[in-house]
This record gives sequence, structure tokens and C-alpha cells, in this order.
Amino acid sequence: MSREAENVLLLLVGIATAMITVGGAYTRYVKPAMLPWLIVTAVVIIGLALISIGMDIRRGSAADHDHDGHSQHGSVAWMLILPVVVLIFVTPPALRPQAAAPKVTAVSTDVLRRPFPALPAGRAPEVSIPDVMTRAAQDTAGTLDDRLITVIGFTLPQQGGVDLGRVVLICCAADAQLARVHLGGSMAAELSSYPEQTWLKVEGTVALRTADGDSTSIPTLEVASATRIAAPANVYA
Amino acid sequence: MYGVVALKSTGETRSPAMPLVVLAIVGFALLGGTLRAAVYDSAALSTAGTVFSGVFVQALPFLALGVLLSALIAVFVTTDRLSRWLPRRPGAAVLTAAVSGAALPGCECGSVPVARRLYGEGALGAAALTFMLAAPAINPVVVVSTVVAFPGEPRMVLARVGASLLTAVVMGLAWSRWGRSDWITRRLPRAHAGEGSRWRIFVEAARHDFIQAASYLVIGAAAAAALNVIVPDWVIEKLAGQLLLGVLVMALLAVVLALCSEADAFVAASLTMVPLVPRLVFLVVGPAIDVKLFAMQSGLFGRAFASRFAPATFVVATAAATIVGLLVIGGGG
Repeated sequence: MSREAENVLLLLVGIATAMITVGGAYTRYVKPAMLPWLIVTAVVIIGLALISIGMDIRRGSAADHDHDGHSQHGSVAWMLILPVVVLIFVTPPALRPQAAAPKVTAVSTDVLRRPFPALPAGRAPEVSIPDVMTRAAQDTAGTLDDRLITVIGFTLPQQGGVDLGRVVLICCAADAQLARVHLGGSMAAELSSYPEQTWLKVEGTVALRTADGDSTSIPTLEVASATRIAAPANVYA
Repeated sequence: MYGVVALKSTGETRSPAMPLVVLAIVGFALLGGTLRAAVYDSAALSTAGTVFSGVFVQALPFLALGVLLSALIAVFVTTDRLSRWLPRRPGAAVLTAAVSGAALPGCECGSVPVARRLYGEGALGAAALTFMLAAPAINPVVVVSTVVAFPGEPRMVLARVGASLLTAVVMGLAWSRWGRSDWITRRLPRAHAGEGSRWRIFVEAARHDFIQAASYLVIGAAAAAALNVIVPDWVIEKLAGQLLLGVLVMALLAVVLALCSEADAFVAASLTMVPLVPRLVFLVVGPAIDVKLFAMQSGLFGRAFASRFAPATFVVATAAATIVGLLVIGGGG
């Protein structure tokens, strides 16, 4: 592959990075906290490509007669077209719950049992599903007891009931896991008739249970009210 | 195509690559909608696409950091200067390199181009390879994330650092004894005498290393995505329960998943059905060798190198982690 073609691919990889970063699609693949790093990366790659192109032009169509007009990379640089196509033209969707590892399980040792910080003030503060799961399993301060909370997730119909789930990213889409709570109470039957993966904002209280340190058991949320909502911008928890 | 390319293109053969790139991009732009629909309609394809994007996008910032660093090395660190800093004896040089691995915070993808730049004959080569294996496993970011992922299990952190250092040192010493520089078929472009400033050398080195490493990162990410879709979860759950089988399964899983070393501790922590020793193996093997690292090593060092070094690393890392794990954590955990 010629130097010019490599430079163009380099530029395109940089542009692809910039596009998913500015457009927000990057939250489908990595954690939102990566934003500043992705901006810097896009600037570095685009800058590197532009400077290389500029240098080659200044040397006067160097690609044709220069000793390294043909690059050292052989044809493997063609591989760079794959992320360009995937990120710019396809932009794969966020993971479906079926693609995430079936269970979220924090470490289940008694060492983890500790008093958790109080929930934010307000009538029904929003708590993420993984947070609900860890608090239900490990909190010795009982911050969830008799407390109305708001939980956002999608429906996962189960045999004889319905769960509210959220895909959790630890680092990137390669390590996604599924966090879930059971929905209980008189409204649960109605919610279980919703199609799978309906996004809901649910208010309710977590059914009382001793914090047994075992986060593999799934807590139950007694539903007080539920509203259908559009999928949030960052679908992962 | 490989190694020192001595193509004397004296202006006559204008490479067709450029029009091809333009043509490909225009083609994909036109086909974009169809392609997109095909991927979105298939559960397997969209999962593979998302996992590919996840691995690639996550690795990119670390790769950029590693490449900038390796370009700085190309400008400021000559092989002579480096040999003067390092202890003369291979053993001492390898130990120094292993411990200095703690100074490069980041993921494993960044350390491959850095190690390639540092590589030199003799003790320097062994030291560079030791550094490559040690840096992604024992740097502060990785240690902290392991502490956070395994609260109440300080032995896990200790064992991870110990086994990773052991792997790096053993591989470094093995290289200084049996390694042969002629396995390294990929040569770095040399700065030509009298040509250009430091700035030019910097840009050339960064450009070369980025294109080379990123191209192989694409291959590795694609392999990880394909395996992620093909290997079903139940295989892991069924097999990982027993200690010996578990060790092997977790070692292979580390290779297949190609996770970032800053995140693998959280994944290992979540695999609660697996005993601690196999999970330690997962944490030691992953940063040392996985599909994406194998691809990147073949790209930057050469296929003859990677096809020998990678399997050896796999065996040494698995053995080191198992032994250290049994000693520090014990078989019951």
C-alpha cells in the first residue's frame, strides 16, 4: 500500500473516532468516562495523518521516487478499513441483553458487608440496578429499607413474572453483564404483558430481606408505579 | 512484503492503492444502508460488531499513548544510551526491566510498540521483552483496579503482581538464553542520515508504529469478537468448576476474550463460580498474551518471533500463576 493511501486510512480512522465520540455512539462500546481520552485520541490520529500528508507534499510527491515510497506495512494496513466501515457506516447497536453474560455477581464474601452511604434526598431518588443489587446484598445500614426509589431498565419477561434489567459495562462491550431485579406487587402482572425490552421508569420499594452478603440472589422491587419511557442516551448502567 | 522492503520504485509504478481506498470508501458509503440493515437484523452479527467496536475503541487511546511514547523513544533513546543505563549482566538487566514495568500506566496494547522501540541486541532485547510483559500487569492502574475488584482479598493482588513479575522475568531470562534475533523479521524504518529534524523522526516513528499496531489490533479485535459470539457461556461455567481443568479453561478464556488489563480484574471478580486460583491464572495470562497481543506481536516483531514467543509466554504465565496461586492463596479458595 502506498504512503498516500496509508495516510488517508489513518485520517479516516481518526475521523471515525471523532464521529462516534461527537455523535455519542461511543457509549454503545465503552464507558462514558472515556470521552476525554477519545477526544484526545481522535485529535492525535487526525493530527498525525495531516502532518504526514503535509510532509509528503512538501517533499514533492515523495511517494513516487522516494526510497520509502512503498511503505513497510505491506497489505496489512488494509485492515484499517474495517473499523472505518464498522464505526462510520454500520455503527453497531448497543448490546442486547441476550449478548451480555447472564449474571452480574459481585464478590460474595462477608467482608463486603458494610454500611453504605445514604441515598440522595428526595421523594424517590434514582438508583441504578447494579447499585440496588449490591445494596440489597451487602448494605448493613439498611439504606433501601422502606425507601421509595426510582429504577430505570428494560423488561425481561420470565416464567411467572417479569424482571427489570440493565446491561452493565465494566470496561467495554466485550465484558458486558446483565443486572436485574424482579418486579413484584400488584402491578407486576400488568407489566409482564409488555413486550420484551420495553424501557420503564419504575418507582417502588425493595422487598425487605436480610443482607446476606450473597449478591447472586436477585432482589425484588415492589412496584408502586411504572411509566414507559424512551431508551436513555446511555443504555448501559 | 515483509522485512526490509527494497522496492526500487523509480517513479514508474504509481501504486493503485490510493484509488482503491477511495473506491472502497465510496462503495461502502453507497452500500452503508444495506450493510447496516444486515448487521442490525442478525443478533450474532450485531453482537460481533459491537464487541469488535468495544475492543477497538477501548484500546485506541492506550495505543495512541503507547505510540507517542515509542516515537519519543525513537527520537531520544538510542540503543547505546539504553545499554549504558541498563546493568551489563542479563539477569540484572531483566530484573531492572521487570520492575520498571510499573512506570508505564496503561493497557497491554501500548506496551508492544514501546517494547519494539526499546528492543536491541543481547541483554537489551531480553530487557525490552521483559518490560513488555511486566508493564501491563503490574502498573499502578492495574494494581488499584485489582484491589477494588477483589476487596478483602489482598492475597489476590499480591499473587497477581508476583506471578506476572515471575512470568516476565522467566521469559526475559529464557530469551537471553535461547532467543534469536533473526526471528525478529520486522525491521523498523531507520532514520536516514542527514535527513530531517527530530520532529520528522518523531512523526515518522509515530506514523509507522500506529499503522502497524492498529492494523494488527483490528485483526485481534475481530478474532475476539468472533470467538465471543461462537464460544457459548455454558462451556465456561461447566468446565471452570474444577481446579486443573479450570486453570486451563481460564487461561484459554484470557487469550480468547482479549480484555484490557485494566478491566480484567472486574471480569475475573464476577466469575464467582470459578475458584480463585483459575481466576488468578486469567489475570496473569491475559495481560501477557491474548489474540490481539499475538496479532500485534506478529505485526511489530514478525511472525517467526510471535509464533515462538506467544506459546512460550502462555505456558510460562499459566504455570507461574498456578504455582504462585497455590502457594499464596491455596487450593481451597
